[in-house]
Amino acid sequence: MKMKTISKVSIYFFLIIVITFFMLPIIWFSTASIMPGELVFSDPPTIFFEPVNKAFYEAFLNPGPHLVQLFNSLTITSFAVLVNLPLSFSAAYGLSRGNLKSAPRILGWYLGLLMAPPIVFLLPYFIMISNLGLSGTKLSIVVVLQVVTIPFSIWLLKSFIDEIPFEIEEAAKIDGAGIRAILFQIVIPLCAPGIIVTTMFAFVFAWNNTVFPLILSDHNSATLQIGLLSYFSASGAIWNLIAAITVVSMVIPMLIFLVFDRYVVRGLTFGAIK
Amino acid sequence: MKKNVSQRGPYILLIAPSFLFLFALTFYPLYFAVKNSFYYWNLATSPKPVSFIGLDNYINVFKFTPFLASLRNTLILAFVGVAIELFFGFLIAMALASQLKYLTYVRALLIMPVTIAPIVVGFMFRYLYWDKVGFIPWLADVFNIPEPDEGFLGSKITALGAVLLPDIWQWTPFFAIVLYASIIAVSRDLIDAAKVDGAGQIRLIWSVILPTIRPILFVIVLLQFMRLFNSFDIVYILTDGGPGDSTRTLSYGLFREGLRNFNIGVASAYTVVMVIIISLLVFIYFKLFNKRAAL
Repeated sequence: MKMKTISKVSIYFFLIIVITFFMLPIIWFSTASIMPGELVFSDPPTIFFEPVNKAFYEAFLNPGPHLVQLFNSLTITSFAVLVNLPLSFSAAYGLSRGNLKSAPRILGWYLGLLMAPPIVFLLPYFIMISNLGLSGTKLSIVVVLQVVTIPFSIWLLKSFIDEIPFEIEEAAKIDGAGIRAILFQIVIPLCAPGIIVTTMFAFVFAWNNTVFPLILSDHNSATLQIGLLSYFSASGAIWNLIAAITVVSMVIPMLIFLVFDRYVVRGLTFGAIK
Repeated sequence: MKKNVSQRGPYILLIAPSFLFLFALTFYPLYFAVKNSFYYWNLATSPKPVSFIGLDNYINVFKFTPFLASLRNTLILAFVGVAIELFFGFLIAMALASQLKYLTYVRALLIMPVTIAPIVVGFMFRYLYWDKVGFIPWLADVFNIPEPDEGFLGSKITALGAVLLPDIWQWTPFFAIVLYASIIAVSRDLIDAAKVDGAGQIRLIWSVILPTIRPILFVIVLLQFMRLFNSFDIVYILTDGGPGDSTRTLSYGLFREGLRNFNIGVASAYTVVMVIIISLLVFIYFKLFNKRAAL
């Protein structure tokens, strides 16, 4: 399709403004992490400066109060995904292939869970968890995270399983394969890309969930993002540290989104749009 | 073809573990909320519900918490937010759909805001909004936009808009990228046929593209409306619901009642009212728009 130069130029111009608008806050904030403290709030804003890496060093290495929070984030998120995957995969398979009359209703309910306000769950969980004597444990956060990560993974995985032609499984069934053989020898290998994509996006989903740890964690189990809250009334130089922690917390999701770029739309819409 | 129980059995067994798990995790909170909404219970003074008080908690939700103001703020955020994000998202998607050179990079960069945890976006904008010396006040100054004395987040007039801006920043790219994917999937033949019939750009968007992507619009508008409706993190970080009640959302109000004031009874009634409102909104949405939806 031929396009007039003028409309080409205007499209590029528009998109340059768009990209500036969406990238500038990230860049602006991230640079604060390598800025000398006294320049963080200067008027007019500082653009050129001698970068220092003091903030990362202080936050994560020496004395490194946030290193343990980084570790907490990684363990909580990893375990949340590990618990979630086998449960979600089997359910996604059952819902995709079982021809059950109630399947649409179950899926609708799971979608409802993804859209429900998380705060609604928090108070009862908070009380239930302290009654069980599990207050502040990572375990409690991992379990509670399932209320959003399982529905998310089921929806996403089901969209991948739906794409595998059923005939292959039927043929195997006629040859006498049981459901376990069909699952492990046919469906899981065929669905491997879907499983990897789901794992990665479920990881981001859990990593970025801050509402549950906000209430359920204590100073031993706080995640990286919750660690930011200790600087709540911060001003001036501490913004170096805040920005450094933020940069570290942003990197993993950003990388996953870049690597799995092709599946981003699918991941963000729970598999509803391919 | 109907399957008998023995054929369906294995599938039910596969679905059951997560189903039971989620059932427990969903219905315990609902049961908890409904039951305790009829009891007087403040966790700060008693570990257990104190006494049955009928509907008093429901009356107190409206009498002692700024429920209606919170509902109004929540609805403004959700409706205005979705409208702005959808509009600009569509505009950006159309620009990307021109498929000029280098636009794949633009698209890949564009998704970055979406990958950031909302609480972190909150901190980012706290920094950008910082009174007098932050980037946004500085920028406003450059463009001669007057900053309120209390700052953008501290003034009753600008606070709600200032809370909405980070959300628009974070989620407009979501609309842009999902809509881009669906616009380029609209069949070339359909577009060419419309052009042969003499349709202009606006006509093309209105009569060909929008009707085709309608099922997708249905899904993403619902998802984003609910996400905005549940706004909590941003409010928590940026304004704590203030100044006054001007940025208090329903989610934030519930958090305050239940997890700051520990008024379990009132918070439970609050939850029940909120669930009813959400169910109503979703029901109306489905009644109005659910035609050939992708879900």
